[in-house]
Amino acid sequence: MKKYIYYFITFLCFSFLLSCENTASEALLSPYVPANIDENAGSWKTFVLSSPTEVSIAAPVGTNDPTYLKEIDSLKNIVAPNLTNEQRQIVAYWGAGAVFRWNEIARELSARYNSAPAANAEGKYPVPDATNPLADPKFPFANPPYVSRALAYLSVAQFDALVSAWKYKYQYNRQAPGNVDKAIKPLLPMSNLPSYPSEDAVVGQASYVILLAMFPGEGPFLKSKLEECKNARLWAGMNVSSDINAGVSLGAGVAAKVMVKAKADGMGAANNQAATSDMITRSKSLGFTKVWTSQESPARPPMLPTFGNVKTWNFDRATLEAIRPAIPYIEGSAEFKKDYEELVEVDKNQTREQAAIANFWADGPGTYTPPGHWHRYGANAGFEAKYSEVRMARMLAYLGTAEMDAGIGCWDTKYYYYSPRPQQYGLKTSVGLPNFPSYTSGHSTFSAAGAEVLSAFFPQKASTFNSYAQQASDSRVYGLIHWRLDCTMGLKHGKTIGQYAVKRASQDGAL
Amino acid sequence: MKHTLLCVFISILSMNTIMAQMPHDQIYMNKNIACGALMYGNSSWTNYWENSLKRDNPNIGKLSTESLSAMIAYGITKKVNALVMVPYVKTQASQGNLMGQQGFQDVSLWLKAQVFNYKQLHGHATLGISTPMSNYVTEFMPMAIGIGAKTFSARAILHYNLPSNLFISATGSYIVRSQVTVDRDSYLNGEKLVNSGSVAVPNAFDAMFRMGYIKKENQLEVFAEHFSCVGGDNIRRNSMPFLTNDMTMTAVGAYAKYQPKSLGVSAKVSYVLDGQNAGQSTNVTVGLLYLFKVK
Repeated sequence: MKKYIYYFITFLCFSFLLSCENTASEALLSPYVPANIDENAGSWKTFVLSSPTEVSIAAPVGTNDPTYLKEIDSLKNIVAPNLTNEQRQIVAYWGAGAVFRWNEIARELSARYNSAPAANAEGKYPVPDATNPLADPKFPFANPPYVSRALAYLSVAQFDALVSAWKYKYQYNRQAPGNVDKAIKPLLPMSNLPSYPSEDAVVGQASYVILLAMFPGEGPFLKSKLEECKNARLWAGMNVSSDINAGVSLGAGVAAKVMVKAKADGMGAANNQAATSDMITRSKSLGFTKVWTSQESPARPPMLPTFGNVKTWNFDRATLEAIRPAIPYIEGSAEFKKDYEELVEVDKNQTREQAAIANFWADGPGTYTPPGHWHRYGANAGFEAKYSEVRMARMLAYLGTAEMDAGIGCWDTKYYYYSPRPQQYGLKTSVGLPNFPSYTSGHSTFSAAGAEVLSAFFPQKASTFNSYAQQASDSRVYGLIHWRLDCTMGLKHGKTIGQYAVKRASQDGAL
Repeated sequence: MKHTLLCVFISILSMNTIMAQMPHDQIYMNKNIACGALMYGNSSWTNYWENSLKRDNPNIGKLSTESLSAMIAYGITKKVNALVMVPYVKTQASQGNLMGQQGFQDVSLWLKAQVFNYKQLHGHATLGISTPMSNYVTEFMPMAIGIGAKTFSARAILHYNLPSNLFISATGSYIVRSQVTVDRDSYLNGEKLVNSGSVAVPNAFDAMFRMGYIKKENQLEVFAEHFSCVGGDNIRRNSMPFLTNDMTMTAVGAYAKYQPKSLGVSAKVSYVLDGQNAGQSTNVTVGLLYLFKVK
């Protein structure tokens, strides 16, 4: 008898094993009708375009035109009856919004490309090659400055292209297929927004151009996402082909103009390692007895030492220098000693809560970095507020440019002072040590800038965003890779940088 | 009454994961007899497989995982035994600036039962569960002391007695591992960015072949073992490992136990020959065993 019990137990246990699937699922976001369709967005001030009609598109044919009726017929009688479940899922995915999804895609690419090159056999670190992006090391190394810039251009291109799209939408005022022909049953909630050109196609094409420039090894992946993004609108019965084609044309034209600006912003010269010897000389002349040195083995050249020279968005060079944080405490001072002692205490007695905060905000290799983290919070807040596509892009453009300005301002500061890391004083880290000078903290600068912009857009969430920024800043002390002063001054600096973006937003005609 | 000692050892095979091994032999504690063991383990590696690329890392040097475990095996009946183990684990890197971690890891409980006897062939089955004893950090790999998953494992053991006290034995087990909540709120799983802190740790299986000599409480054996995850991703180029990784290891080793009376000692060594997403570790465990009667 007993042995049958054992057989039974064995059987039970294997059934349990077979039935046990462990997957981490994510919530599918439900599409919404925007709280406000922003009819006047065509007159909002753009970042790069000199006027919303700088890129022209052809006038659409009318809704009585046979060509148009043929497109409507195709939606009704060819597309809709033959929809597969897979196509419906793609529609549901893109129903969250093209700006939202392309931002998410950009964050995913950022995470995938966020790996520092490995040292070769000679102990040197090869520089990623944009013309051979999939070789080892892959191009780009999507570090925080790189990601801040990629997301800034992405959001700016989306915003400018959408402002232009809105201008044309209301200029031509061609209604959406579901409003023209009631026999069409769109799969997504519909507003009264005119549908020519398709905002999703505009965003998709503009995003494709920018992201392909930023992640040149991802052509096939980006192409497949672009096709999905465009087709989803046809499958959903939201646009006809000519809406899509006009959107593609407009998105491509605007993105090309944004790329002209991107190519001239100085990023190509942001990794000038030859500049570091003068930086070190300056640091010593400022009184630093110990300057930053790479703690990696073999020593790695510092990350983008001349990223501080890249062109900013929301203030000029003179302002950048004027708002540069003052010189930090130098070894030997009582204040330096106090900051050191705080770290020694964490080193000895790091609490689980401190470790958790350090891990939560670490945003290190293999992640979308702090600018990505803030874009995620921005995109989610815009989604919750049921932002229209153009308002979503606008918010992310101010956030994105503030993040990139924060990166530039912080990198300028880091290499201006070239100050040492706590690990040069024997401290360990629980999150991994970034390979560039200490003062100021990039996380603090990015986070305060992000919180400042998002608080302006979502005032009811200001205390949450500000507490996030404070926590992200503290996390670098808890992870033992920054002195307290790096963090407090970074926060202050980031807040100032964010205010320039907020000021610009207040003057763009959208409020 | 003959007191047979049930011996347990732990093998620290993976980069951080401490894997408790059930006894693989045909001996059971008699009813109400218990065996307590205190074991010290040291596992270390200098080389590891980043995906399938074997490399070292001067920013880690030698990574050592030390553990001290307390274990009790108890005879519920002559054919059903229960075992409990509690390990304290400490990690340390010899170079670089990564902070060492330490703490109580996962408490494990197993039930082992004899399923059949056919001449010299014996079949056994064990069921095990484990759960973290503390909220230790899991994502700071390879310094983390464990993977933080609750596990459920089932193992089948076939044991064949040869003449002159020799034996051969084969073991297969499947380990179901729960999702783990990490401190961060996003992570990469393969090429996909997951916007959540909930990590699906891949399940795993383990197979082992053993042969040796066993007489009363004394034992000497050699073994080969293969551990592999069911799915999972690979360590990205020049990156640190993560909980989603598909760890694979093939190891060989030897085990010996000597227990003239109620006090005894055991020792185990093993070495990872090949692997993927894992350290090429050398593992040594020594144990002090004590047999006593309950009630």
